[in-house]
Amino acid sequence: MSKPVSSFKLHLRAVATGLKYLLFPNRITVYYPEEYVEPPEGYRGLIRYYPERCIQCGLCAMICPASAMKMYRTKTDRKGRPGVNYQRCIFCGFCVDICPQNALEMTKVHDVAYESLNELVVPPERFSQEPVSPAVAGGARRLKTVFDEERGLRHELA
Amino acid sequence: MSWGDALSWLLRLLLSPQVFAPLIFPGLLTALVVLLTVIWAERKIAARVQMRVGPLYVTRRLGGVLQMLADGTRYMFQEFIIPATADRLPFLFAPVLALTLAIVPFAFIPAAPGFSPIKSPYSLPAALAAISAVPLSVLLMGWSSNNKFAIQGAVREAFMGLAYEAVVFISALSMGVLYGTLDLEEAVSRQWLPGLLLNPVAAFAFFVGMVMSAGKLPFDIVEGEQEIVAGPYVEYSGIIFGIGMGLAYLKLYSLSLIYTLLFLSGWEPVVAPLYSLYPGLGGVLLFAKAYLLMLFIVFLRSVYGRYRLDQALRAGWRIYLPLSLISLLISILLRVVGVV
Ligand code: SF4
Ligand code: SF4
Repeated sequence: MSKPVSSFKLHLRAVATGLKYLLFPNRITVYYPEEYVEPPEGYRGLIRYYPERCIQCGLCAMICPASAMKMYRTKTDRKGRPGVNYQRCIFCGFCVDICPQNALEMTKVHDVAYESLNELVVPPERFSQEPVSPAVAGGARRLKTVFDEERGLRHELA
Repeated sequence: MSWGDALSWLLRLLLSPQVFAPLIFPGLLTALVVLLTVIWAERKIAARVQMRVGPLYVTRRLGGVLQMLADGTRYMFQEFIIPATADRLPFLFAPVLALTLAIVPFAFIPAAPGFSPIKSPYSLPAALAAISAVPLSVLLMGWSSNNKFAIQGAVREAFMGLAYEAVVFISALSMGVLYGTLDLEEAVSRQWLPGLLLNPVAAFAFFVGMVMSAGKLPFDIVEGEQEIVAGPYVEYSGIIFGIGMGLAYLKLYSLSLIYTLLFLSGWEPVVAPLYSLYPGLGGVLLFAKAYLLMLFIVFLRSVYGRYRLDQALRAGWRIYLPLSLISLLISILLRVVGVV
């Protein structure tokens, strides 16, 4: 078969595929600020620090491959407490894994925005506060993804 | 003259085909509505096929249908910048010329039986000639912008013009030969079967030529958003940019109307009650068919990637030009056999 003729068939097939999706849409995005897809278990989002459990060993700062975790020392507290710089953090989770006291924890919060670069540097005081997702705080419906044999991904109310 | 007289005079003026057709239907006003809704539909359709939502927040209940109105308003109030290095007079003159030329075809397109502003035995070539004059002003736009992207876009426009113009004209002409007339109105009355079935080759060649002419995907080579950022329109801002964007859709609209008249048996069957109410309204089916055709063409955006310039030229010269010549032969053959 000559090329234009054989490619004509392929064109028809492409148009048919397009029409299929037009008539039976398979939307995978959600109305974000009103709907929020809950990340799966074990998702590595922003890190939370529990100062009461911390023994100030400094292991977290030492293991951090991106030099994002740093011990903040003061005059009275020479051993210091960890703070994180999210400009550098690669969310590898090493700090969380190495902590002997489980004083660090990865939350599922990831959809945050900052107004200035300075806000990305989180000192121990702010580090110990629970991070909040603005969408969830704004009352978004929580959805979870489920696998569907026919459709691929699907969203359900969590 | 009393107020009543003046009012009835105004109404009569407005309802005469010479004013109603170019201004209201199928002319400016309808074209504007088409422009706003088709661009929205294009984005919505692409979104559906690509598993997204598309424009939404402007009039959320209606699925964001007023998005384009909002965009248009924004263009209107944006600063209009004339670059210091641009050639001022042609820079300002070219878009106006382009818009005018894009509206001229509506003077020749009949909207309903016996309802066209300029009744001419040559309305088909006249409308096509006006449409094919638009690229000249686009060339002027690109040239006077004095910007390398704009000039590249203009050169592409010239190349593309070479690729599609002959195809569009020859395949339209072959329908003219088939119907034995170059009058669009008569062409409709000759179609006992839609032209699409009478001469499918011409219908196909004209369709592709029309998509190329309107610069829709897969042939949006002139604008080349990704590498020459809107091509000839790159230096334009504000409302003139909006005009540049609307130009392609205006061309698409008038070409779709011509396509419907030539191949989809135009306004047949006429909706009798509407026609007797006002002849201009008899063209609703023409409009509906043309609109559906436009929707299909903008749908192609979500199916195709863009062709390169050389690929489009090759397709134009090596495939569609021969196809249109074949369609001419078919028409002559059908004419000789006496099918129409
Ligand atoms: S997650 Fe990784 S990069 Fe981020 S602070 Fe912890 S150790 Fe450093
Ligand atoms: S590793 Fe854990 S216990 Fe040690 S300093 Fe870091 S947070 Fe505190």
